[in-house]
This record gives sequence, structure tokens and C-alpha cells, in this order.
Amino acid sequence: MKKQMIIVALLTATAMSVFAMGTKEGSSGAAPAEKAMTHDELVAAARAEGKVVVYSITSRIAGAATEFEKLYGIKVEASNLKDGELIEKVSKEVGGGIQGADFVICQDSGRVYGQLIAPGFLTNYVPPSMKSIIPAQYQNPLTFQLINKVFIFNSERSTAPVIKNVWELTEPKWKGLVQFKDPKAEGVNANFLTMITSPEWSAKLDKAYQDLYGKKLALTTKNAGYEWIKRFFQNGLVLGNSDTTISENIGIKGQPQTTMGLFVYSKKRFDAKKNLALEPMTEVAPFSGFIYPAFVMLTKNAAHPASARLFIEYLLTAEGFKPWSKDVGSYSSNPTIPVNDDDQPVSFWATRLVPEDPQYLFENRAAVEEFVNNITY
Amino acid sequence: MTLGNRVRFFFRKPHNVILTILAVSLAFLTLLPLLSLLKDTVVVHPSEIMSVKGSKMGDLTFFHWKKVFSDGETSMNLFYKPLWNTIRVSLWSCLIAIGLGGGVAWLVTRSDMRWKPFVSTVFIFPYIMPSWTLAMAWLNFFRNRLIGGAPGLFTALTGIETADWFAYGAFPIVVVLGLHYAPFAYILIGGILRNMDANLEEAAVILKAGRLKILSRITLPIVMPAVLSTFLLVFSSCMSAFAVPAFLGTPVRFQVLTTQLYRTLNGLNPGYGYIMALVMIVIGTGILMINQWIIGKRKSFTTVTGKSSNISFARLKAMRAPISIALVAFVSLIAILPLVTFAIESFIMAPGDYSLKNLTLQFWVGKGSEDIGGGEPGILLNKYIYLGLWNSVKLSVVVAFVAGTVGALTGYAVVKARGTKLASLVNNLAFFPYLMPSMAFAAIYLSMFAKRNLFIPSLYGSFALLVLVGAVKYLPFASRAGMNAMLQLSNEIEEAGLIVGIPWWKRMTRIIFPIQKSSFLSGYLLPFISCMRELALFVLLIVPANRVLTTMLFQYNEKGWNQYANAINLLIVLIVLVFNTVINKATGASIDKGIGG
Repeated sequence: MKKQMIIVALLTATAMSVFAMGTKEGSSGAAPAEKAMTHDELVAAARAEGKVVVYSITSRIAGAATEFEKLYGIKVEASNLKDGELIEKVSKEVGGGIQGADFVICQDSGRVYGQLIAPGFLTNYVPPSMKSIIPAQYQNPLTFQLINKVFIFNSERSTAPVIKNVWELTEPKWKGLVQFKDPKAEGVNANFLTMITSPEWSAKLDKAYQDLYGKKLALTTKNAGYEWIKRFFQNGLVLGNSDTTISENIGIKGQPQTTMGLFVYSKKRFDAKKNLALEPMTEVAPFSGFIYPAFVMLTKNAAHPASARLFIEYLLTAEGFKPWSKDVGSYSSNPTIPVNDDDQPVSFWATRLVPEDPQYLFENRAAVEEFVNNITY
Repeated sequence: MTLGNRVRFFFRKPHNVILTILAVSLAFLTLLPLLSLLKDTVVVHPSEIMSVKGSKMGDLTFFHWKKVFSDGETSMNLFYKPLWNTIRVSLWSCLIAIGLGGGVAWLVTRSDMRWKPFVSTVFIFPYIMPSWTLAMAWLNFFRNRLIGGAPGLFTALTGIETADWFAYGAFPIVVVLGLHYAPFAYILIGGILRNMDANLEEAAVILKAGRLKILSRITLPIVMPAVLSTFLLVFSSCMSAFAVPAFLGTPVRFQVLTTQLYRTLNGLNPGYGYIMALVMIVIGTGILMINQWIIGKRKSFTTVTGKSSNISFARLKAMRAPISIALVAFVSLIAILPLVTFAIESFIMAPGDYSLKNLTLQFWVGKGSEDIGGGEPGILLNKYIYLGLWNSVKLSVVVAFVAGTVGALTGYAVVKARGTKLASLVNNLAFFPYLMPSMAFAAIYLSMFAKRNLFIPSLYGSFALLVLVGAVKYLPFASRAGMNAMLQLSNEIEEAGLIVGIPWWKRMTRIIFPIQKSSFLSGYLLPFISCMRELALFVLLIVPANRVLTTMLFQYNEKGWNQYANAINLLIVLIVLVFNTVINKATGASIDKGIGG
């Protein structure tokens, strides 16, 4: 009996101290005060480190890593993570003083600002050679690339656009034929839905409805943005787990009906090898899809800062960007890297796609997610 | 005797030292995390500053509790519907598992069915294989065009399009979970049937009772408590299943608690997830208590055990051949066919096209190519696969070593000190992790060890954390095996060593362990196999540097790179089967000893 008492006492004591301790234990990672190194000095320092660890939301980092290894003889450990997963891991690793990634390629601007940049887990680094090349608007935080998701349809029967207005997707003729990645599975998709509930975009949606049907939109929700989301989802929208699968589902030949989806434009690259028929639409009112940035940033406690800087610089060159630029749907922040021959420049897409506004996202994303959750499940 | 002397006397016995250490460390590893979890349900996490308006990180809040339990439609969709789905799916799966497992157990132990060795070996396969094996096989076969894109093998062969309810959602989840846990029920019920005293049945035969009457009035009442206890254990396993509902439920938005847990913990509101973990632990503990109560009652039945030498087999007569053939066919269907589908799926290039010209070695030995997958090379050339494989094996070996050793010591100490309060406390603490759904268990370790705590540095992302969570989670298997081994061992054997003055550790390593080698080794084997095929326990805790094969498979699958996923799955299944067979043949250890006893 006595022993049990002692154990109980011990337990309570330990439990109390856990809560008393709190979490203030920031370990100071290696972040040596940097002077402007010359490129050669940077290479030498990077070679001395010999290794670099990167977490990335784009799987094509693997290709760039192989080339980088060949070029500099520095080993790369590249990991492809989902956007939310990457944010959680980095905030736990850096917050807990654990050595993880040296630099990250991340997306989902609202969360990246709120959870990673604001607490100082990520630090911005613009390679000196890029300062005069990359437009100022892309420099803080440094944008690695822009990515677009557009309405893409199965073009086996005809390559003529199948819709002119997004409200058509809420009509019975498209029931069960449209696919979209689960906004819970990827932050940027939830961001897109959040953005169209903003005053600016809901006004545009409202106008598009009137243009299409010649009458006023009768609201059952807060505004035209919410209304479109609700009708879009309730029209048998098929939610997928991966844009790759969706591209296969839409593009596969021999389907009884024409299908379409809203997914990453770069999946069009699968056309030849996988025998798919995919065609994007660019003239849909009031938007043909959405566009979002992927940032490239150092972690606060990077163990291999020089290699990370070198790799970041490499990724911003035409050669380093090759794994992305050889296909459509990726746009480097470095304007001297030309877009793919079959693609259009960012300026073309900017007027047709819904962009991200980190501040608006930070404030409204949670509400929209809850709304979506309620109409979906 | 003074207090000091009493303490000294107490600690002179090695098993008392072991018990004390275990009691303290297990309390630390199972109860303390619960407190940490509780705290996590009422604070604002980093990502929640977006939804809890005007709050700072670490603020106290009841926002999560309110949202999960009493916020009308939101709570309904977030919690109540998934809860109801969980209960529904688990109940039906249980029925299938017990009906099938119990039926096969009866046929193997009590009837004159043919080909028993084949059936009893192969029927266990689905339990040894990762739980999602059958789920993936189901998708390979039955996925339909409407939501799965390219149709599966079944449609390709027959031209018949499967219905949505058949391909995805509750129905396939129930079938797959039922099949996966049927071997578990088979092992538990089979053990009872095998050990049951046949004299009662024989007496009934002599008294000319009919077969049916014997079954309903004698056999069933005797095995009933075991069946009930099996029911509860299978129920709690089904409840904590993650991979199967994740694979089969998502396409039709069918959510259960574990999938919601995963979504919320990785999304904007981890607080919701921690509350769900708590709910699952409460249900699990409730099940344990009912189970203890039933087993307590069973004791009155165990007076009739004691093996009879000649069990008379029920004659299946005219049904013998058909039943034997049907069972062999069925067992092959659920254990071998899935492997064939993985092989096929991993060799095709364009999805859904099973013609010869579409075959490719790309996903096994191909070079990376950006227009398929993300430019990753085939799995046999992929350095990350080897990293994951190495991590998996390393982790499983270390976990098996730790869990097996601690389990053996637990078994030794608990049996030695049988009847004391300390022994039963340790016994219960060692069994406690069994009731915690893997994902909930991982969630509490995440909440507890992600930051610095007491003298322990933040373990997030470390190999040590994976070992810790694995070892504690699988301790119940190992301690069960250890206890069984010790119970069969007469005390005199150790006492003989004690009299001659052999030190404790030598008695353990030279006498006790060698005698019960196969039983103790079973306590190492089961954690090893479970660890090799575990997903739910690790998926929240893994970081890229220490990823294991199963989490890589899950990632490939989520990305829709099915060929890679199928290839990796085949790899995992083969490794597990080979290990199991080799260890079984070499040492006589087997997984049924760990569970059934």
C-alpha cells in the first residue's frame, strides 16, 4: 500500500512540473552572422558542409536534387510533403529546436505567414545574384514559382471549351462529372474557396450569374461566393485525394460523357505517356481557375545554411528550374527564365485566375473551411 | 522489522525491483501522456489562431470542446456522424470476423475436414499482412470509373461496372476489416476450442445427444465467454483501424473517427483531434473493463479445462469434400489473390489498360521520368525506398527487442509476485496501451513529446520517439507471451538454481529463457511483425528523415501513384511473410502464441 502511495505522489509531482515548465526552450540553431560571401566562398562553404536537407511541396525537387548533386558533389535529402503536413512538421521541428530541413519550398500563404514567418521559424534569403533580377514583389518572402490550377476537360470529342461561365457547373448537366481535390487535403484549394468569398470576387460572381441567366441571384448563404461553393459542391462534385489521380480520371479516353476538373495545369504533361486527352479553358467568367505562390525559405536552425543558400540560388537559375520549366504550369519568379513554349506568361494568367491574399486568408479561411465541411460531409 | 529493513527485504527480490521500475515507468509512459492530452484539448495551437479569433498561442480555451460536442450542424458533421459510422462499421466487421474466424476454428479443431495444415497456415495471412492489403486489393479489383477514374480488374474482365456503394464506403470497409480480423478471432476461439475438455462432449455423445444439441448446449456455452471477449477485442481493433477506412472511405466522403483524427491533427484545428483521441481512449477503456469483467466470469468455467487426449471429430459426411474445397478456395482467394493483383498493378503503365503492350518495368527498375509520377525512379533503384526499408527493419528490430525483453521481464515479475497489488497494477498498466487506438496513442505522444518536458528533450522527429511509441504500444502482446511462458514453468526450476547460488541474471539467461524459448520468442515476433506493417501509429510522428516503408506507401497512394504503391505493398508483404516463416521454422515461435496463449 505504502509503495502505491509513493508512486501516486511521484506521479502527481511529475505531472505538476510538466505543466509548470511550459514550453520556453528555444534552442539557438546555427545561424552564423553572414557577410556577403562571394559565390566561390559560398560553394566552398557548402562543399565543407557536404549535405543539404529540403522539404518541398513539389515532387519534382527530386530531379533538381539529382542535378545539383552532380554539379557540386553535395548530397541532397529531398522530401516531398503535402502543404499542411510541411507546415506542421516545420513548426514542430524548428519550434522544438530539432534539426530537420535546411530550407523549404512551401505553399498556402495564409498559414505560411501566420505559422512559419510570424514566429520567425523561416528566414528569407535572396541570393545576391538575384536581387536585381527578381521583381521586388516576389522578394519578401522569396517566391520560387507560381502554380496554377485551371478548369481542364476531356478533349477526346472536341477541343472547344465546354463552359463559358462557372455557374454552368451548378447546373444538372454537369452533375457528378466534375472533380476537384479535397480542400481538406490541400491548403491552397481551401484558399481558393476562401478567396472567392471575398467582397471583390463575390461581386464578380454575382455579376457573372446575372450575365448568364439575366436575373438576380437569390442568396441562401452570406454572399455569391458562398452560394457558388454550395451549389458547386452539391452538384455531385467528386472530391479526389490527388491531382494526379484526378488528371487520370478526367483525361482517360473512352469515357461515356465529357468530364472536367479544376486541377494543376502541369498535369497536362501526362498526356503523351499515359494516353490522356486534357485541354484547359482560359475564357471562363469570372475566373478560369486560381494561381498561388510557392515560397523558398531557409529554416531558422538550418544545419547546412551554405548548401541551402547555394541550392536556393541554383533553383532560381534556368538550369535549376529545368525540371519545372520543361512542362507547362510552372512559372519561375525569375523573369529571365522563359515559360514553356506551349504555355502563356504569368501576365496572361493573372487576369484570368483568382490570386491569394494572405491577410484575407488568415482571417477567413477557418470560417470557409467549416462551411465547406458542413455542406460536404 | 524497521521500515528500512522492510524496504531492503522487499527489494532483495529481483521481481520486486522489476515491478517497481515498471510501475513507475509505465505510469510515466501511459498515464502522464493522458494528462498532456487533456491539456491539449483546452489550449490554442499555432494553427488555431486563425479560427479562435483574437487568441494567442497557448491561451486557455473551450472552443474545441464546444465545436466538437455542441455546435449544431458542425458537431454533427465533425464528430457525431463519424462516431456513428465508427460504431456501425466496427459492429458489422466484428460479426463477420467472429462468424468466419469461429467457423473456421471449429472446422479445423473439431471436424474431420481435409487439408487442415494448409487452411490453418494460409488463413492467418491476412492478419500478418498489413491491414490495407485487402483494401488496396479491393480497389484494384472493384474501383469504378465514376469516382476512381480507370476501372479495376473486375470491370476490365467482365465489363460490369461496380456500383458506388459496392466499390467504396461502409460496405467494403466492413468486408475488408472483417476479413482482416477473422484470423484474430480464429486464433482466440481456436485456442479455447483446442483446450476445451472433450469429456463433456463425449459424455453427451454416449447419452445419444444430437450434434446440434451438443453444439448448442455444450460447446457454445463453454466458448461463449471467449467469444464475447474476442468480440470486444476485435471491436476495439476495428474502431482504431485507420488505413482501411482511409483508402476505401475517402472517395465517397465516408468518415470515421480515425480519419477525422488524422484530418484535424494535420489541418487547421488539431484541438478537435485531441478531443476525438480522448473519446476513443474512453471507449477503449470501457471495453477493457467489460472484458475484464467477462474474463473474471470465465474463471468459473476454466474448471472444466484440462486436455482430453482423444477429441472425436465431428463427421462432415457428404459435406466433407465440398466444405474442404470451398474453404481452400476461399482462403486462397483472400490470402493469395491480393498479392497477384499488386504484382499486376505494379507492372502496367496507363491505368486501367491490362493489355500486354501496356506492361512496363518502369515502376520497378525504370529511370525517373517527369511525365510519370514526379520523376521518381522505379522502387528498386530508388534510394529513398532503401532508406525507408532500412528504417522499417531497424525500427522493427529495436522495437521488438525492447518490447520483447520488457514483456518477458513483466511476465516473469508479474507471475512471481502473483496476487500482490503491485503485480496487478503493473499487469493492467502493461495491457493499457492495447486499448488505445494507435492513432490516438500517437496523438498523445505527439502532444507530450513534441516539446521539452521535465528532463526529456523534445523527441519529435527522433528515432527514439518511434521506438518508444512502438515498444509501449506492443508491450501488451509481449507481456502476454511472457506471462504465458512463466505460468507454464514450475517455480522449483528457478529455486533449484537459487539454492546453488546462481545469480539472478544467469538464472534468467541460462535456465528460464532457454526452457521457454519459443514462448518468449513469440513475444518478440509479434511486435516485430506488427511494427513492420504499422501505419496508424507512425503516420503522425514520422518526419522525412526517418520515414518508414508504410508511411511512404501511404504517401504514394495519396498522391495517386498507384503503381509505386502496389510495388511497395508487395515488398512489405513479402518481407513480413518471409520473416514470419523463417522465425517460425527456426525457433518454433509463432504469432498465435502471443495473442491466444
